[in-house]
This record gives sequence, C-alpha cells and structure tokens, in this order.
Amino acid sequence: MGYILLVSERADEGEKFSKLFAFGKYEFEVLSDLTYIFDLVNVRVPDVIIFDLFSISVDFKGLLKKIRPLCENSALILNTDNTTADKELLKSANALINDGMNDDLILATISMNLRMKNSMERLSATNRDLADSLYRLNALYSTSSQFAGTLDKKKLINYMVEGIDKSLSFSLTSTLSFCTEDEPVLLINSLYDLSEEIIGALKLRAVLQYKSQYEGSNPPYEINSETLKVSKHIKYPANKFTFSLFQYDNMFASIKLGETLFGCVEIFKEAPFSAEDAKCFQTIAQQVILPLKSATLYQEIKETNLKLEKLERLKSEFISIVSHELRTPLTSIKNSLDILLSGKCGEINDAGNKFLDMAKRNVQRLSGIINDLLDLSKIEAGKMDFHFKKMNIHQVIDYVKNNLSLSAKGKGLVLSAEEAENLPDVNGDSQRLEQVLTHLDSNAIKFTPEGKHITIKSELKNAADISVHPYFQDEISKLKGNYIVVSVIDEGIGIAEKDLLHAFDKFAQIENSLSRKVGGSGLGLPIAKQLLEAHKGAIWCNSQLEKGSDFCFAIPVAE
Amino acid sequence: MKKILIVDDEQDIVESLKFVLEVEDYTCYCAYNGEDGLRLAKEIMPDLIILDVMMPKINGYKISRLLKFDNKYKNIPILMVTARTQEEDKLIGEETGVDEYITKPFELDAVVKKVNEYLK
Repeated sequence: MGYILLVSERADEGEKFSKLFAFGKYEFEVLSDLTYIFDLVNVRVPDVIIFDLFSISVDFKGLLKKIRPLCENSALILNTDNTTADKELLKSANALINDGMNDDLILATISMNLRMKNSMERLSATNRDLADSLYRLNALYSTSSQFAGTLDKKKLINYMVEGIDKSLSFSLTSTLSFCTEDEPVLLINSLYDLSEEIIGALKLRAVLQYKSQYEGSNPPYEINSETLKVSKHIKYPANKFTFSLFQYDNMFASIKLGETLFGCVEIFKEAPFSAEDAKCFQTIAQQVILPLKSATLYQEIKETNLKLEKLERLKSEFISIVSHELRTPLTSIKNSLDILLSGKCGEINDAGNKFLDMAKRNVQRLSGIINDLLDLSKIEAGKMDFHFKKMNIHQVIDYVKNNLSLSAKGKGLVLSAEEAENLPDVNGDSQRLEQVLTHLDSNAIKFTPEGKHITIKSELKNAADISVHPYFQDEISKLKGNYIVVSVIDEGIGIAEKDLLHAFDKFAQIENSLSRKVGGSGLGLPIAKQLLEAHKGAIWCNSQLEKGSDFCFAIPVAE
Repeated sequence: MKKILIVDDEQDIVESLKFVLEVEDYTCYCAYNGEDGLRLAKEIMPDLIILDVMMPKINGYKISRLLKFDNKYKNIPILMVTARTQEEDKLIGEETGVDEYITKPFELDAVVKKVNEYLK
C-alpha cells in the first residue's frame, strides 16, 4: 500500500520504475514535467517522492524548499550520484539511490521508507489520541476539583458547562438548570449566535426532556417553553447557526439524584461524538450530582440556621421589650398599694388591709418573674454583664444568711451555716453568687415545714472527690482541680428521683400541689445553672422524697 | 415650702410621687415630656428635680446636661429615674451631672428618703 511519485524527465527511468512496482500493492505515477508538481502534490500528497536528480536541470534546491512544506510527511528519495550531489541536499533526503543499484535494492529501500512512513503516521495518530486523552483527563480533573471547591449550586452548574466545553469540542450546549431559587433557567452556551426560532426549539426540547423524566407523575416545577427564562453565552456572535443544527450529532444527560432533578444537559456537535466523548460527557454530568446534593443540603442548613438565629434574637428582644413594658404599669400598681398601705389616704379596716397585702404580695411575685425572665433572656443572648473579681465565698454566705434569717424565723425554721475554716478565694461575681444562693435558700425555706433545719455548708473539695447522682455525672466530669462546694441542705418535702433530672430545666416546676401554692417563676434554677456555667462551675442536687434535698454548687478556687 | 419638679411621661408614676412628696410637705410641679420639663425648670427654679430618662421630644440626659452646664441651674440636684439598668446608662448619667440614679421599679419610700436627704 502506498502512493509513489517519480519525478524524472528521462523516459527510460519511468519505464524502469513502472516495472519495478508492477507487482507490489503500489500506486505509481511518473511526472516528467516538473512544472506540474505543485498541482499534483496539492491534489494528493504522495507517500514517497523519488526525484531523479540526473534528469533535473532546474535549480532543484530552490524547488525543494518550496515543495517540501506541501509534502512534509512524504518520504523523499533522491536518485543521485553521490559524488556530485550537494551535501545539504543529501541531508534533506530520507534515502538515496543511484542508477547503478540493482532493482531489488531499490525496491527494498523504497518499501522500507514506505513502511517507516506508515509507522510514523500511526505513531503520531496514537500520540495525538494520547494527548487528547491527557487533555481531557486534565479538564476532568480540574472540573472535579472545581466541584469540590464550592457549595454554590449556580456555580456548580457553570463549572459543569465549562468542563464540558473544555473537554469536548462541540457547537452548542443547552442546559436546563433548577439551581436558582425562584425559577428554572435554560443556559445556552453556543459557538455561534442563534435565532429566536432556534432558541424556541431548544426551549421546547428542554421542556419535553424535563417532562419525560417524570413520566406518569407530576413534575415538581410547572414549566413551559413560552415562559422559560434563557441565559445565553455566544462565543462568536458574528456567525449564526441555522436549523441544520438539529441534524447534528447530539447527546443528552439528566442530572438527577433519586427523585431530585437538578437539571438536564444536551450538547450538539457538527461531527459525530466518539465513544470517548460520550463517556467524558456522562462522567462530568454524573460528577456534578453529589456536590449539587451537598450544596442543596448546605443551603437548607444555612437557611434553617438563619431562621433559628432570627427566632432566637426575636425571642430575646421580645422578652426584654415585654418585660420593660410590664414593669412600668407594675410600678404604678405597686406605688398605689404602698400609698394605700401606708395609711396616708386614711385608715383602712383589717379586711381591706388583708386584700391589699395579697395584692402587694402578688405584685412582688410578678416582679420577680419578670426579673427572672429578663435575666434569663440576657444570659441567653450573652448580654449579661459579669464583674469577676477575687472574693471569698464566706461573704456571700454571710450576706444571704443575714438577709433570709428573718423569713426563716417567720416560718419557724432554723437557718444555720456550717463553714469550713480558711477557705481559699474564688474568682466570682459576688452579686450573681448571692443571687444563686438566695434562690437556693429561699427555695429551701419554701419547701421545708415548720420547726425543721436548713443548713448552708461550705467546704474545699477536689473535683475527683465530688460524688453526685448519676444524672449529674456529666456536669461533674467536666470539672478539674480544686473547688469550693456550697450545699444548701433542707429537711423539706424532697424531689422524686424521676424529677431530679429536670430540676434545672426551664419552667419545670415539679408537679406538686405545694410547689404551686408557694409559687415562683420556675426560672430560678435554670438561671442559677447558667450563672454557674459563667463561673466555670457546676450545680446539682440530691434528694429523697419526704426527707429533704441538698442543692449544691461548685466554683473553681482562684489561682 | 421647697419646690420639686417631677418629669416623667408615665402619668401614674408622676401622680404617686406627687402624692407621697406632698404628704412630706413639698410643693410639686409636674411635666409629662422633656420640653415642658425643661421650660418649667427654668420658670420655677425648683429645689430638686426627679427626672425620667426615656421621654418623647427631649430625653432626661439632655435635660440634665442643659441644666448642669448652666451656672444658673447647676446647683439643682437631679434624681434620675429609669427602667434601664445597664451599667453604661449609669455612666452616661454620671457624665451628664446626674446626682442620684434610681432604677424602676422603685420603692416610693426610698425616693422620699433620698429627697429628704437633699432637702432637709
């Protein structure tokens, strides 16, 4: 196999070679007039060209310079007398023969060159394929790393189209994308401009393909080709595609995970797509699915988070506004009651006094609840101001004991303190710690019947030596080092074991007729818990029904 | 009789303060917004002012600043009353020359006691 051209003005030379190639699978042609060589080579490039230098009289070197670019890959064989030939000319040839060589040798030389030329051609074709594959692989790689780098759905679809663009040469892609929140969009990436009719046809195709994905059931979006939005990108707007575009080879892929359809892609190409192209196309269309799914989830999480944050903020604002608004009228009620009770408006009889007292007590209770709500909302919003300084727990216990001894006495209770000597200082906000201890103490007073004891105990303990009910073990296991542990021990009604776990929950007043009778906001313990967390401490309780409860908290010793 | 000016947009609060202070033999003048409050303060030259912070038109801090930086009025004691309990509010109060700071809800007796400290 091969097309061989002999350029010779000698008629006998032509005859000699014709005979030589008569039995091979060669096409052989003789050109005797050198002026036609350009026409000939332009029509068909010979595999082998033999120049008979013995017969060529023109400036062959000059001619060769002009003709070589036209037949770069042809094997060039010179029939020459090697004693007279130009050295440079010899170098440009693939092989040399001369009149004196025997026919077999000439034939062997020529067929070897032909074989070599064919092998070279195959090799370069393979090389080209390899380079192509490598380029595609690179494109795929960069596309997949782009996929990994974003959680934006619109960008992902753009990367996919770009990836297809980079790895396949094509005329047009038409992508139906559902990634925008409001409505689907048809993204058209085209080499040349498109008429409205063609865009209309592309829309119709996309809609039909979309509907075919949901055969027999209703698609999640109602779209039609009239209203479908188009975003187009034209590479060479000067040229225009005609309807023959739809006779081009095309490929289609749907981007779908389970029931969720993210979009459909269709691409067109003037020449047929190869199997490689198809694989590449499907790979990219598949690769984008998982990141799209992640992006969808991410977006959902983000939206939910935003909503939650907003809700949390609204709640805090709401509580603080409501509390302030509640305080103003409450102040007026309280003022009026105070004036009436002071007798400044005249004498009030016993029954009147009793009801005024009741009103005042309940106003105070309401104020307490509002203050607790405000505190809790402040803590939760991170707006609570703490003034930490080195202090001794002794002052806190003293203050609370003095403050509450009167109300304990009023109920016929004995309130005593049992303090270990020389307790080290802690780093704390004394006002907040007083708030915690006051709450624990007044709770104890509330729930302890007449004649019983309440003890405030303080001691130095290592975190490892603190033993608690298993419910609170998690809290305690977070502690490390030395702590001041303060316990309020009462002989009251106690708490059932099943209720212990919820003792520090918001609004979790333990269901008990007595607890309802004594009132309270149900926020004191959760506030205490938050305040201790701010001190890097812990709070817990132990209790036995009918025997009493111990409420304890621990604060780290100051360094 | 000593004169006290009460400035608060909460009419009920003004009313109850007026009552308990009049029992203590003070003459009370009332204003329900900042503008009236400022005008009255200049007109009647009170011996003490009880001033709310959050008020329409001119707020309490502004009134306090205007009076305390005027030689004619700077010696009038000002008791600032407000529902706001933030630390920074107290700082503003100090900067604007407020003499006492009382947070709502307050005990009427406590206010009377404070007033007596200044005027008796």
